[in-house]
Amino acid sequence: MGVKVFRSPARHGYAVEGSPFIPTRLACAASQYYGIAGSGTLLILEETELGIALVKSCEWSDGLFDVAWSETNENVLAAGGGDGSLQLWDSSSNHSAPLRVAREHTQEVYSVHWSQTRGENLLVSGSWDQTAKVWDPTLSKSLTTLKGHEGVIYSTVWSPHIPGCFASASGDGTLRVWDIKSAACRLAIPAHKSEILSCDWCKYDEHMVVTGAVDCSVCVWDLRNPRQPVCQPLVGHSYAIRRVKFSPFSRTVLASCSYDFSVRFWDYSSSQPLLETVEHHSEFVCGVDFISKINSMDIKTAFPWCVLRFTFVHLLRSGVKGLYGDIDASLMV
Amino acid sequence: MHRVKVISGHLSSYPPQGGNRKCNINHCRARAAVSGPEDVVVVHGRRTAIGKAKRGLFKVWSFKPHSNSVVCANVSLSPRCLLTLTNITVCLTLAGNVLQPGAGAVMARIAHFLSEFPETVPVYTVNRQCSSGLQALFNIAGAIKSGSIDLGLACGVESMSLQEMGNPGDLSPRLVDFEKARACVVPMGITSENVAERFGISREKQDAFAVSSHQKADRAQRSGRFEAEIVPVVTRVTDAEGTESTVTVLKDEGVRPSTTLEGLGKLRAAFRADGSTTAGNSSQVSDGAAALLLGRRSAVEALGLPVLGVLRASAVVGVPPDMMGIGPAYAIPAALEQAGLIVADIDVFEINEAFASQAVYCVEKLGLPLDRVNPNGGAIALGHPLGCTGARMAVTLLHELQRMGRRGYGVVSMCIGTGMGAAAVFEYPGP
Repeated sequence: MGVKVFRSPARHGYAVEGSPFIPTRLACAASQYYGIAGSGTLLILEETELGIALVKSCEWSDGLFDVAWSETNENVLAAGGGDGSLQLWDSSSNHSAPLRVAREHTQEVYSVHWSQTRGENLLVSGSWDQTAKVWDPTLSKSLTTLKGHEGVIYSTVWSPHIPGCFASASGDGTLRVWDIKSAACRLAIPAHKSEILSCDWCKYDEHMVVTGAVDCSVCVWDLRNPRQPVCQPLVGHSYAIRRVKFSPFSRTVLASCSYDFSVRFWDYSSSQPLLETVEHHSEFVCGVDFISKINSMDIKTAFPWCVLRFTFVHLLRSGVKGLYGDIDASLMV
Repeated sequence: MHRVKVISGHLSSYPPQGGNRKCNINHCRARAAVSGPEDVVVVHGRRTAIGKAKRGLFKVWSFKPHSNSVVCANVSLSPRCLLTLTNITVCLTLAGNVLQPGAGAVMARIAHFLSEFPETVPVYTVNRQCSSGLQALFNIAGAIKSGSIDLGLACGVESMSLQEMGNPGDLSPRLVDFEKARACVVPMGITSENVAERFGISREKQDAFAVSSHQKADRAQRSGRFEAEIVPVVTRVTDAEGTESTVTVLKDEGVRPSTTLEGLGKLRAAFRADGSTTAGNSSQVSDGAAALLLGRRSAVEALGLPVLGVLRASAVVGVPPDMMGIGPAYAIPAALEQAGLIVADIDVFEINEAFASQAVYCVEKLGLPLDRVNPNGGAIALGHPLGCTGARMAVTLLHELQRMGRRGYGVVSMCIGTGMGAAAVFEYPGP
């Protein structure tokens, strides 16, 4: 599997997501100066035979930390910024300004997610102001604000199965599950003794959630039995886990990326859960996503969990020496 | 800097759990200095091979007037030849030199013309003893930062075949009344003995360090590591019978791969009867030249030139003259502080091996990982042409960082006779 690289000078990638409509299209939220200061850029990229091409780039006055494609319109995306704003962007327009800007959060928006369950078209944002907000797709005004976390929120992710339900990961060490109809926290799991930087839902089992934390471990939780994780914590990363993602192709496979420059693939149902470690980079890896490429000629059955040939996307963020140097953000496919 | 606190909170709280990845992340006190158009960058650097003074292939220069200038000219030519654009004019050239009268001011101007630089480009020379080559680089950087020039050539050159270290000039007879002034005329070898005695650096440690220098230099030579940085110099040699022939000098002459601990152990102390500093664990007396092209990043990019390195810090400190060898142990922390970095952030240290005693002291005092110190050998194996060394080490350092293939940091440092130390921090930005 060849690795394709996209470099954006002086921008450091924070998040990446594949378009739900166009299999070769990617969006990347990137920030200047490692996201510590300066502006941000939303990059719309296209994977081609030869590499990765830039389709459009949108500038924002603060760093951008997360991006989410619309589930109903192939050109629309939402991004979360360091100034507490959420912006709605149109990748097909010639305008440099976003369609809409919502400024309700009072601190950095670190997570934005568009709901995927049918009949629902909502956004959820998670912020360092310790609240999560639910929005309609026009971002006119938040529909609900959910409070309860006692630390910054790093990640808010809609359940792919249960309507009106999302999970959040926080610096207070808890994984919380929220119900937006009652605007309340249904479950709070003290999942780690350190900050939890990422969480994700299993695409096959509606009760399974994975968390990745600063203590370098990845834990899988069954919400019906939240007192302890489903299995031994997945260890192997040598620095904080930056993002976790469940595979869309397999029930028990997930990916994690970490400040230790690597991306790891795990099968938590196996006695030897670590499947693969990818160490292409000499930089922090901040974002990872699975995208599918349907190619009828290439359906491989060699790997039992792989139904469609998949590629994975990493993002680099350089932060090893602090605010130094003109480090390129590279996207590798 | 709330975001800095949040993110460094992710990194410092938990030690690696059985991971074997080396990450230089902890406790980085990152400054707000980021890359910008005002950075002083190194475009290019080259050097001649280093010849053994008086006995090596460059000794033939001793019969030719202005032979230094030819050496310097050869080096000056190389950056020019390798530039594909012909309309690059540097604004200033600086040569570091120690032994030539007046630091070789006239020699440098002549070398400039021999290198086909136009008369409109000014030249001067600088002498800060063993750091002169690096000082030339600092002076060019200073001129760039002050806005008086855009591009400059920093060189270092020395022929120790031609000139002796003997004449320090007209020193005041009153120096005998002042302890520190007296200490300035202490021979370098005695300063080495002072360091060895004061800090307990044993003869064995010094010899082991010397063996390692030769081994590393030999490995570097055999694997062709110096090929990218050495400029061939064509010279004429007269053999014992008086026949002249033309040779091309490509390799550093001083490297002795057959050096062993036992062999070194047999050498007599060279400076003091009961001492530990010998010819084998001291730097060699040599001839050589090196040059680097520097510029302001905006000017360099406008010309479409590459960036080989970025000067991130420059520091010169003063230390007791009678123990001048400890200079790097004070200069390196000063430079690191300026750059906002720590020892663990640095991938390669080029520390001049004036004497194994002082080099070992500095490495131990600063806790430098030995595998990152002089990975391609140092002055004990390669030689120490005084004015050239600082520039030579910068050239070798940047090429070594480039070989690593990713962004990295390096330090060049040396002790300075009469009691100083100099250090520079360079960044290689990545391929």
